Amino acid sequence: MNEWIDRNMGRVFLAPAVTLILVFSIFPLVASLLLSFTRVRLSGGGFKIRFVGWKNFEKQFFGSEQFHLIGTFTEISVLGWIVGLAFTAVLLGWIIKYIRSHFTWVGFIGRMITFAMALGLCWLFSATLLSGNPFGTVGVTLFYVFVGCGIQFLIGTSLAFACSQRIMGKNAFRVIFFVPMMITPIGVGYIFRMMADTTKGPFADVWQWVGLGEFAWATNPWAARIFIVVADSWQWIPFVFIMMLAAFESVPRDLTEAAELDCAGPWQKFREIIWPHVLPIAATVMLIRAIEAFKIVDLPNIMTSGGPGIATESVSLQAYYAWRSLDLGAASAIAYILLFVTVVTCASFFNLVIHSRIRKQR
Amino acid sequence: MAEETENRNGSAKSISIRSMNKYYGSFHALKDFSIEVEAGEFLVILGPSGCGKSTALRMIAGLESISSGELLIGDTNVTEVLPKYRDIAMVFQSYALYPHKTVAENIGFPLKMAKVPTNERHAAVQVAAEQVELHNHLDRFPSQLSGGQRQRVALARAIVRRPSVFLMDEPLSNLDAKLRGNMRAELKHMQSELGITTIYVTHDQIEAMTLANRVAIMKDGVIQQIGTPKEVYSDPVNLFVAGFMGLPPMNFINGTITAGKFLTSDAEIDASGIPDTKQATFGFRPEDCKVVAAGKGLIDANVYTVEMTGDQVLVTFDLRGGHLVVKMPKDFEIATGISAGITLDKNQAYFFDSEHGPRLHANQI
Amino acid sequence: MKTLHPKSGLFESRAIGEMALASRIILYTLLLGWSAFVLFPIYWLIITSFKNAATVNQGPYFLPWIDFQPSMHAWYELFVSDYEDTLRAYINSIIISLSATALSVLIGSMAAYALSRVHYAPNLITILFFVFLVALTWVSISAFDVDWRVALAVGVALFFFLARGVGRLHQIHLHNGDILFWIISQRILAPIVVVVPIYMMFQSVRLLDTHMALILTYCVVNMPIVVWLMFDFFNTIPRDLEESAQLDGATMFGTFREIVLPLSRAGLAATTLLVMILSWNEYLFALFLSTTKAQTMPILVAAMNAGERGILWWTMSVAIIIMILPVVLLAVILQKYISKGLLVGAVKG
Repeated sequence: MNEWIDRNMGRVFLAPAVTLILVFSIFPLVASLLLSFTRVRLSGGGFKIRFVGWKNFEKQFFGSEQFHLIGTFTEISVLGWIVGLAFTAVLLGWIIKYIRSHFTWVGFIGRMITFAMALGLCWLFSATLLSGNPFGTVGVTLFYVFVGCGIQFLIGTSLAFACSQRIMGKNAFRVIFFVPMMITPIGVGYIFRMMADTTKGPFADVWQWVGLGEFAWATNPWAARIFIVVADSWQWIPFVFIMMLAAFESVPRDLTEAAELDCAGPWQKFREIIWPHVLPIAATVMLIRAIEAFKIVDLPNIMTSGGPGIATESVSLQAYYAWRSLDLGAASAIAYILLFVTVVTCASFFNLVIHSRIRKQR
Repeated sequence: MAEETENRNGSAKSISIRSMNKYYGSFHALKDFSIEVEAGEFLVILGPSGCGKSTALRMIAGLESISSGELLIGDTNVTEVLPKYRDIAMVFQSYALYPHKTVAENIGFPLKMAKVPTNERHAAVQVAAEQVELHNHLDRFPSQLSGGQRQRVALARAIVRRPSVFLMDEPLSNLDAKLRGNMRAELKHMQSELGITTIYVTHDQIEAMTLANRVAIMKDGVIQQIGTPKEVYSDPVNLFVAGFMGLPPMNFINGTITAGKFLTSDAEIDASGIPDTKQATFGFRPEDCKVVAAGKGLIDANVYTVEMTGDQVLVTFDLRGGHLVVKMPKDFEIATGISAGITLDKNQAYFFDSEHGPRLHANQI
Repeated sequence: MKTLHPKSGLFESRAIGEMALASRIILYTLLLGWSAFVLFPIYWLIITSFKNAATVNQGPYFLPWIDFQPSMHAWYELFVSDYEDTLRAYINSIIISLSATALSVLIGSMAAYALSRVHYAPNLITILFFVFLVALTWVSISAFDVDWRVALAVGVALFFFLARGVGRLHQIHLHNGDILFWIISQRILAPIVVVVPIYMMFQSVRLLDTHMALILTYCVVNMPIVVWLMFDFFNTIPRDLEESAQLDGATMFGTFREIVLPLSRAGLAATTLLVMILSWNEYLFALFLSTTKAQTMPILVAAMNAGERGILWWTMSVAIIIMILPVVLLAVILQKYISKGLLVGAVKG
């Protein structure tokens, strides 16, 4: 018996994890896909499932929910055409360059998927935001991901770089900067609602003074979105900070000292030595952060309930509302759209940025 | 020999390795490895890094699976047996001391795993620690010990349960030169005292020569020669063994052998009885030859550099880009750049087939 | 300024690794400014918890005892008059996050250890058959009302037939890296994608609104993180140690317990902390899978929004403070391991 366990230890050790993932991750993933093609009716503690084909997706993309998921469309404005066409040209150029250089079928198909989604998102952007139309939850989620992660990356990295210098009170700063990460997102949501309160909040006098005393954050779409990004950044900059700090501190001392002896200025030292060293780590950190950012649901739910209208609603939140109105099919379909966007974005980023860098270094 | 192979503890066992092979995917790491190790023998496997010697050792230990072939310890076939049932102790190059356990706990670990009662265990640890003179350091952690002390802890852990086989994977290579010499002597003494069959892997030929009863020289996963240190030194079977043994290594000159003569552009050397070979190598050891005046020796060459090592002088000659080294007594003096001759006794010349490697022997007439 | 080296100026550093005065001033301003931005919301949270309706609604007061008289009103309300709900949610949160963390770290690090030490070569074809047949069996049972015994028997028989027959002929072997990637990539799944089927699963076995449902879910959701961090950590432990233990007669589990776990304390502590924070803070799964009995703190706090009188900020602040307190305490206790454990693994990966 003992001998058997010893010989099959590999399987015994791996089995629980694999089983749990199969049951609670892979099975729901498949089930969710099937659900997205059905209408589910709850009846007396059980379910009645009816297959409806692409209807759930049709409704989201072209039907009555189109405004909700991707936005309202009218005419594309001149600016929209310019940006859209320019971006399309850039994408086409990129694909053609790839085909001409070193063609493989796997690489080509992967890039075509990236290409198709980038093109779709680009025209979505041109047709909604640049044409003065409201955009839907996909646009909002991408706003949270790209703008939020961008801000977090910039500030987190700068703080980490500052803290990696020889300064006094390094440990104190380190501990203070880490604090927001431990605070429950729900708590962050409420704390920032208090902060932003224009009549009772701590900055009420400031608002009065600049003449925004009666201004309500939650009724202006852009103010509400920015408000959520600020709260999200407050919470997640510590993560970027602590990872990037480790990255900066892992730069070998010899290298920077050798650079200084070679008469490199601080900027050159940063650009030539430090930055190339931390770049792969930075890319990984941002990938992790982006994966988590796509899932955002608690902050919009707490801070604005997705409002005003649907201005701050993320895709996850939309799926949750669909579930709450007992439309399980729609909830699954929306979730799958989110999954698709997430996977394509993150896989493209991973393959084209992180992986190609690794390949080059080898 | 007879005294050493005598089994004092009654626990030493012989090891038979029969055509053992190892494949990593399509890479053939160990080819037809066969050795019979007598009970109580000290066998050293010697070879350059990457020759498969550590793989062989790890296969004997059971840490790597055996792709094909058989392994017997004593009379038991252990080819498929888990490491812990093979009754083997191993000393690793890194010593593999458990950093979170004290010296006493480290030494006692094998006994703890064998569920030996605590009292007996303490006694055994005490004995083993005294044997390696560590009984005053039992409460320390490995990080508080010097390199030599760590090495001795690893040894104590190996001897504490009296295994039937010792395996050692370059155990001395992390020590500095002086300590290595001391530990070598201690190791040799301890092994003959305990009489436990030992297989020792190293790339250091001095360790091999001084420790071994027999040496097995490996290259590219193949055993080249097995024999006593003296045999492999003075009677190498091929070019590789000849070049690997000896420090400084054997000198080689390429040429051809025709009608009992070794011919090269600089010299003509008597090779009577050696069959004709197109690509032949003539070799001689630095200590077997002498520097003489130009034209008086077998070969003339320019002196490239002279090194004084204390007890001797090494004279290096430049011969068409290649180097020849001659060992001379410590009071020998010669200027660099001048031409000089090298002479040697005919009996100490070795000839090899440089295409395939084997030694060329004079036909027995 | 007298101490400045003659050659150094405002923008010129005087020694390698040291900064000029101007850049140091900018640096400290930046760092102190950010500290204020980080700390002020927390300060406001704490003082709000000592306010009452009047001191909150009359506008901003900043300094206790100077601006306003602190009152324990909110604390009293939550701890004495309203304590039942809070206590239940608190205990639920503790039970769920502790169990989920322990389970996740144990199972995840076992898997990570196996992946870093044992070589696997599962056949992709066999796996695909397995997945395909499981899906087929499940669909035929649920959608086409086939008797489950028949479907299961046919599925198993087909699997063995295909795996033994076709699977032997065509082999595409996966490696440890593939398995690792598969496990880690599960983290990309947004909870919303899987939560509906999980909800239905737990409903069908009547486990909704129980601790078990949330524990299992959190355990799986956080497993990728554990596997990822611990895999890197285990890779830094020299293998010699374990091989030596193996020769000395330890079983693989013995080696894991005696040698590997004690040596990976730092990594385990950091991983535990991270998983603990994530489980403690989790919101969406709890929203779906718990209603009253298994309600966790985030859900309780989020629900405090729904009162008739608007949000009672003072009570809310107390609730948030006691909600974040355990995580902060845990972080303080495990603080010395964070930089050692989390970062080593993460930055390498």
